[in-house]
Amino acid sequence: MSKVSPPKYAEKLLEWVLHDELAEEVLGDLEEQFYAHADRKGLRRAKRNYWYQTWNYLRPFALKPTKLTNHFSMYRHYFKLSWRALKRQRLYSSIKIGGFALGIAATIFIALFIQEEVSYDQHYKDQDRIFRMINVVDAPDEKSKWSHLQAPIKAVLDSDIPQIEQSARFIAFNWYNAGDNQFRPQGTTQSVYEKGFAYADPELLEILEVPFIYGNATTALAQPNSIVLSKEKADSYFPNQDPVGLQVILNEEEDNAYTIGGVMDIVANTHLQADFLLTLKGKEFWPGEQTSWDSWNYSTYVKLVPGADRQQVEQNLLAIRDTHMAATLSDNGGESAFDLQAHFRFLLQPVNEIYLTPAEELHDSLLHGDRKTVWLFGCVALFILLLACVNFINLSTAKSAMRAKEVGMLKVVGSFRSDLIRQFLAESVLFCVIAFGFALALVALLMPYFNILTGKTLELPWLDFWFLPGFGVLILLVGVISGIYPAFYLSAFRPAEVLKGTVTKGKKSSRLRSGLVVFQFATTIVLIICTVITYRQMDFILNKKLGFEKDRVVLLYGSNTLEEGQQALKDELKRLSHVEQATISEFIPITGATRDQNGFWLAGRRELDKSVGAQKWRVDEDYLQTMGMKLVQGRNFSEAFASDSSAVIINEAMAREFGLDDPLGAKIVNSFEPAYHVIGVVEDFHFESMKGEIRPLCLVLGGEGILMPLRLAGSDVASAMHAVEHVWDQFLPNQAIRYRFMDQEYAHMYDMVQRTSRVFTVFSVLAIIVACLGLFALSAFMVEQRSKEVSIRKVLGASLMQIFGLLTFNFLRLVVLSLVVAIPLGWYLMREWLDTFVYRVTITWDVYVLAGLIALAVALITISGESLKAGVDNPAKRLRSE
Amino acid sequence: MKEQTLGEFEELVLLMVAALHDEAYGVSILEHLEREAGRKANISAIHVALKRLEQKGLVVSRYGGITGDRGGRRKKFYVVTAFGKKALDQQYTVRTSLYKQIPDISFAKG
Repeated sequence: MSKVSPPKYAEKLLEWVLHDELAEEVLGDLEEQFYAHADRKGLRRAKRNYWYQTWNYLRPFALKPTKLTNHFSMYRHYFKLSWRALKRQRLYSSIKIGGFALGIAATIFIALFIQEEVSYDQHYKDQDRIFRMINVVDAPDEKSKWSHLQAPIKAVLDSDIPQIEQSARFIAFNWYNAGDNQFRPQGTTQSVYEKGFAYADPELLEILEVPFIYGNATTALAQPNSIVLSKEKADSYFPNQDPVGLQVILNEEEDNAYTIGGVMDIVANTHLQADFLLTLKGKEFWPGEQTSWDSWNYSTYVKLVPGADRQQVEQNLLAIRDTHMAATLSDNGGESAFDLQAHFRFLLQPVNEIYLTPAEELHDSLLHGDRKTVWLFGCVALFILLLACVNFINLSTAKSAMRAKEVGMLKVVGSFRSDLIRQFLAESVLFCVIAFGFALALVALLMPYFNILTGKTLELPWLDFWFLPGFGVLILLVGVISGIYPAFYLSAFRPAEVLKGTVTKGKKSSRLRSGLVVFQFATTIVLIICTVITYRQMDFILNKKLGFEKDRVVLLYGSNTLEEGQQALKDELKRLSHVEQATISEFIPITGATRDQNGFWLAGRRELDKSVGAQKWRVDEDYLQTMGMKLVQGRNFSEAFASDSSAVIINEAMAREFGLDDPLGAKIVNSFEPAYHVIGVVEDFHFESMKGEIRPLCLVLGGEGILMPLRLAGSDVASAMHAVEHVWDQFLPNQAIRYRFMDQEYAHMYDMVQRTSRVFTVFSVLAIIVACLGLFALSAFMVEQRSKEVSIRKVLGASLMQIFGLLTFNFLRLVVLSLVVAIPLGWYLMREWLDTFVYRVTITWDVYVLAGLIALAVALITISGESLKAGVDNPAKRLRSE
Repeated sequence: MKEQTLGEFEELVLLMVAALHDEAYGVSILEHLEREAGRKANISAIHVALKRLEQKGLVVSRYGGITGDRGGRRKKFYVVTAFGKKALDQQYTVRTSLYKQIPDISFAKG
C-alpha cells in the first residue's frame, strides 16, 4: 500500500498554486479518485490521470489570487517605468538596443552555423558501434595517419575478429569509375557527364543505415555490377518510376553495363555524400589486386557487435598487422616488417568524428568541416555577445547620474533595495526583448547572404520545439547578465546624498568602464588582426609560385568516349593557333583529381629498405609543357626513345627521399611493374593543398582518361574556346563540350580558407560597429558631463584644439592600451591557425600597425563628433543656467 | 441583479447536487454523472462548475469529517439553496412546457 500514493510533485504543485480554500477540497477529491483509479486501471494510469487533472487546475479560477496578481501588477509597473526611461533617452536607448541586436544577430548566425556543423553523423541507430578504421605510423622519422587500407582486409576482419559484426570498404576519390563519368541509361544515346561516383561494399549501406526509396540496403549492391542511385539522380533520369533492375552505361562501355539495385535517400548531414554507388562485389581492378597487401585504396568501416570494447578491438586488430601485412613485407624486406611492428597500428574513428576531422589530417577525399573553425567561430560569437553586454553595462552606469534622483526618490517613498534591483533588471530584460526582436528580423533578412558567405543552406528553425522557449531563456539570461551590475550599482545610492546633489556622477565606476572599453577594443583589434592575416594567407596561396602555371589552362572533360580517336583530337587541337600545347592525363595538381599512391624502392633494395610512398601519375610527352612545369635535371619523355615506356621523371621530393644526389639513370621499382629508369627530375610543384608538404611524386608515360588539359596561347579566351569547340564538334557531334579553367579549380581548393577570411571580415566589421556604438555613447556622455568645465575653459581662452585634445585623450589612451593587450592574443590565435598550413605567410609587424591604426582612426572618428561639438558650442548657452 | 444563466453542464451538476442530497461532493458527483447521465467529466470541470454555482448562490457548502482515503483531508459537501431549487424548478417548467408543445407528427430523418 505504501507505494500507492498520488504523485508527490503534482500534489506539491497544486498546494503551491491553488488558493487555500480550494486546495483541501481538490486534493481530497483527487486523492480519493486516484485510489479508485489505481484499483481499477492500475497505478500508472492513475498517476497519469492525476497529473492530467493537475494541469487542468492551472487556470484563473483556481490559482492563488492575491500574491500573483500583486506581483503581476508590480512587474507591469516595472516595465512601465522602464519604458518611460527608454523613451526619455532615445539616443542612448537606441544605441543600447542597436548594439544588443547586432550582437545577438551575430550570435544567432554563428550558433546556427555551429549547430549545423556538429549535427553531422549523429543520426545512426547504432551510433556508438560504427567506426572507420585509421592506420597510424608513429616512427621517429615518419609520423602519419591515413584512412585508406588494403583490399583483402575486409575478408580478414570478417573472419578473424569476432567483435566485428560487419565491415565494408569504400572508395570516394577519383579511381577507375569512382569520381566522374559519362553516364546514360541503357536505351538512350546521349551520355551526360556526372560526378559523385564511389565504390562501396554491399555492407556499407547497412552499416551506415542508408535509407532506401526503392530496393533495400541488404540487396541493393549485393550483385556484381550493381549500382545505387541517389534520389535526386533517380528523379532526373527515371522520374516517377521504380528503376530497380534497369541498366545504365558508364563511359560508353556497352559490354559492362551496371544494373540498378536501389534508390537511396542519403540524409543531408552525413559525411557520406555520393550520387552513385558502384558495388565492390566481385570487383578486381587488376589481376591480384584483391589479394595484395601493398596497395592502400580502401576506406574501411566496421560495425562492432553490441557491447564490444573499442580499445580491445584496436588491440585485436594488431594481429592483422603481425600476420598478413608483416608476411607480405617480409617477402619484400626485413627492415620494413620490423618497422611495421614497432610503429604501425590501427585506430577506430567514431563515425560522428569523420566530418569534423579535416581532410589534411587523414588524407581522405570526403567533404569536411573543420573542428578548429567551429571553435574559432564559437569564440567570436561569444565575444560579440559580450561586447554587446559590455555596451549595455557601460551606458547604464554612465547614465547613473540621470537615474540617481529617481532612485533617491523611490527610496524616500519607501522602496526596498530589492525592489529597485528588480526594477533595473526588468529594464534590461525589456531592452533585451526589444533587441531580440530586432535581431531576429535582422537574421531573417540577412540569412540568404549568410548562406552565400558560408556555402550552407541554413534557416531559422522556427518550428523546432526548442526554438522559442530556448529563445525566451536566452533573453532572460542575457538581460540578467547585462543588467545585474547596473542594478546593484544604481540601487546602492544613498537617498540623502543623492537628493542633496552630492552625487558621484558615475565617477566611481569609471575604472570599470575604462576596463570594459579596453576589453571591447582589444576584441575588435584581435578580430582585425585575424582578418588581415587570413586575407594575406589567402592571397599568398593564390599567388604563390606553384611549380606549375595554373593560368590559361583549360581542362577539357569527356573526350575518353572517343577511345582510340582521343589522340587524333589532341593532335587536331594542337594544330590550332589558339592552343599552345595539349596533353592527355587525368592527373592534375588539383586536390580531388585522380591519384595513384604506390610504394617505391630503389632497384635491388626492395628486400632491404622501407618503401618510399609516392604518387605515380600517368601522363604523355606534352604534359610538362602544358602544365608549365620545369625540369631541373635530365630530359622530358620523347617519342624518339623507344625505351621511354619504362622511363620515369621524379620530383625533387622523391629524389631527396631516396637520397639520390645524381638521380639520372637510377632505377626504381614498385610492386607491380618492371623497373623504371629515371630520365629527369621535375621541380617540386604543389599538387595538394598547401596545408601539407609536397610529397614524392613521379611521372610515367601512359596518359589516358577523361581529361585533356590545354594550354591556350593568347589571352583571348573567348575566341580560343570558340575554336576549340569547333574542333570538338567535328569529333563528338553528339556530346556537348565541357570544360573548366584550372585557375578557378585551384581557387576552389581553398574555398574554406576564403570563407573563413570572409566570415572574419564580416564579424570584425560587426564587432567594430558594436564597439563604436558604445564608444560614441560614452563620449557623448562624457562631453555632457564636462560641459560646464569645457564652457569655463573656453571662456578663459582655451582653443578648439585644446578642448578637443582634452576630451579625446582619455579615450585614445584606452585604445592604445587595448592594442597592447590585443597584439599578443592576436598573434597567438593566428599562429595556431597558420600552423595548419605547411606553406604560409609569416606574421609581420605591419599587421599590428595596420590593426592599431584602424582601431585608432575608428575611435577618433567616433568620439570627435561630440567633442568638436562641445568645442564650438557657445559657452554662454551652457553656463546660463547657473 | 443581473440575469443568472445556467450553462448546460452547470445545470447537470446542480441537478446532481440536488439529487444526492447531503451526499454531494466532487467525487460522488463525478461518479453519479458517469453512471446515471453517461457523462464523462474531469474532476476539475466539476470543481469549476461547483465554484460558479456557489458564487451564484445556487449551492452552499460545508466541510464533512476526515476520511482515510483522502489523505486526511475533509470532504466538502454541497447542498442546493432555496434559490438553487427555484432555478431548477424554473428550468424544469420551461422545458416541460416547451416539450408539450412538440406536435405529435412524424419526424424528419436526420
